[in-house]
Amino acid sequence: MTFLPRLASCFSLLVGLLLCPVPTGAAAGDPVLRVAVLDNSPPMAFIDAQGQRNGFSVSLMRALCEEMRVTCQFSSTTLERVVEVVAAGQVDVAAVNLLDTPERRARVLFSRPVFRSRSIWLAPVALGPESAGITVAVVQGSAQAAYAQTQSWRIVPVKANGELTKALLAGDAQAALAPMPTVLGMLQQPGFERLGLVPRVLPVAELGGNVGFAVSPERPAVKVQIDAALDRVKRDGRYDRINSEFLPFRID
Amino acid sequence: MQTDEKPAKQGIRADRAMALVLAVFSLAFALAVGMLALDQQRVLDANSHLQGETVPKVISTQRLARNLEQLRQEGERIFANNSPAARQQSMFVVTLIASHPSILDNAPAARLAGEAEAFLGEVVRLAAQDQQALRQRYEVWKALSGRLGNQVDDMSTRGVDLISNDLVVANLAMETARYKLMAVLILLGLFVIVVMLLVRRHLIAPLQRSVSALSSLDAGEALPALGPSRLIEIQAIEEAVRELHEQISQNEAVRQELEKLANKDGLTGLTNRRHFMLTAEIELQRAQRYRRPVTVGMADLDYFKKLNDTYGHAAGDAVLKAFAGMVSEALRQSDLVCRYGGEEFAFLFPEIAPSEAIALAERLRRRCADADVTLPDGRKVRVTASLGLADASECPIEIALKHADEALYEAKRQGRNRVVVAGIPVTAGASA
Repeated sequence: MTFLPRLASCFSLLVGLLLCPVPTGAAAGDPVLRVAVLDNSPPMAFIDAQGQRNGFSVSLMRALCEEMRVTCQFSSTTLERVVEVVAAGQVDVAAVNLLDTPERRARVLFSRPVFRSRSIWLAPVALGPESAGITVAVVQGSAQAAYAQTQSWRIVPVKANGELTKALLAGDAQAALAPMPTVLGMLQQPGFERLGLVPRVLPVAELGGNVGFAVSPERPAVKVQIDAALDRVKRDGRYDRINSEFLPFRID
Repeated sequence: MQTDEKPAKQGIRADRAMALVLAVFSLAFALAVGMLALDQQRVLDANSHLQGETVPKVISTQRLARNLEQLRQEGERIFANNSPAARQQSMFVVTLIASHPSILDNAPAARLAGEAEAFLGEVVRLAAQDQQALRQRYEVWKALSGRLGNQVDDMSTRGVDLISNDLVVANLAMETARYKLMAVLILLGLFVIVVMLLVRRHLIAPLQRSVSALSSLDAGEALPALGPSRLIEIQAIEEAVRELHEQISQNEAVRQELEKLANKDGLTGLTNRRHFMLTAEIELQRAQRYRRPVTVGMADLDYFKKLNDTYGHAAGDAVLKAFAGMVSEALRQSDLVCRYGGEEFAFLFPEIAPSEAIALAERLRRRCADADVTLPDGRKVRVTASLGLADASECPIEIALKHADEALYEAKRQGRNRVVVAGIPVTAGASA
């Protein structure tokens, strides 16, 4: 190939690139990213009054998909099954706030920290974790549930964070152990204030730390993309806007 | 055994000199570029630090400040709300904020948040029993709220300071790089000037001197001053110019010698016929141009063939040489004379007419007639000469010589040993 045809090809490519519309977000035809989310874990992931998925994690995942130029294809999961679903490659990502524990890291890839959390002991002032025979509600599959197994509590397992308040209101449980954002969601539940519960941070190492999204071990490239997108979203203000929309204070 | 080897030249080779200059410059330039690269790396490092560490830290600080502000606002709500449930809800949030890792990671913020949490917790508890407790404790809260506000402001300022620090480092590096770049450019300029001066001094100027010397090279003139140069190549050129000048001088000397030989008669040393004709023609033209008198003459030794036959050719040669000597003695320096052929001689007398030239011719004739010529065998003979003169002021040299030859013939015819002027019937002279 002589020089001139090469130059003409390069020029055509340049003109083509200049004339192409600049993509501003995910659009039809973009690659699809299969994302698992929770249905009943306000304020992080829930079905709103219009029947749409909403919440901090859902909005953040949408922002990440837009940043990665992919289309998010959401599907429902539960906290109990999420690691299994991701590990099996049934979804690419779980936009579920999972405490980064060695057990989970052994099965799935973790994104960069989405935020930092601690576990809150939610109970009447008189009842502490050390109280004998206390009934404690925890979400099945959560780090709090795993910790509860090691304590001498009577465990009341629920399927979703949104069911913790019901268990407390129904009198099935005297206390609940939940992540800090979940407790903020419970605070908004009707009737919660009547319970007279007081929050107390449990100073247990395995109940606090970085929280991230789980990525399928079959898709390591997706983890890299999500990490980069998360970094940009955290810097350009989108993360903080989402934070303000769903939570009263900054959780990162 | 002699050899033609020349002594080794003392100096520097031009290519080595240039290589040395280039090496020194390259070293200095590479050093400067390396220093610039270091500054550039410092800028990149500062930028990388800004992007990778400072910006996240600033964002984190801003979020911490936001949480402290949120805590302060929740505190205000506790004092503003009359509802114990609402106060409990705000207290709930205060507790969560105060125990969030972002607060706990920052010791001053953690202390202040912990203090606020404890204070507000007590206020909520007291307010549940007595609403007046809110009013009583509000002044304390105002002070605490002010400290929280100051902390928020300090953190916002700290974020700006963090960025400013990185920018200062980057700016400092860039400013240093700018000075170094200027230094590099000055160095480059100095190098170019130094190289130009060196090239001019050690290459161009010597070459110009050599070119000037070559263009004005003349055997008759001294060679202009060359060198001494430090560069061997220039030394070689100057040496070649000197040798060329010397060669030209030698060649000129040889040429002059050859010319002299070519213009002289080998036996008598007088001018030969060819050269005589050339110079006589020039002299004649000059005289005719300025209308000056000029006379030509022809002379012939009387009975020369007989003398040759009697005494031999060596004797004839001796007589011819002796006559040539007499000619030189008898005539003026300005007169031209040549051996025209055999025993025949031709003359040109500038600035005098035939009537005046007669005296010169007579002087020669008498000198010849009165002189004994010693032959190679020691014997002495005396010879006479006949001369013919003709005016040459108005005719070509060939015609004038022809007239003179006719006059010579007339002198021979009249008895020899005499001078006859063409066109003048009266003859002068005497027999030998």
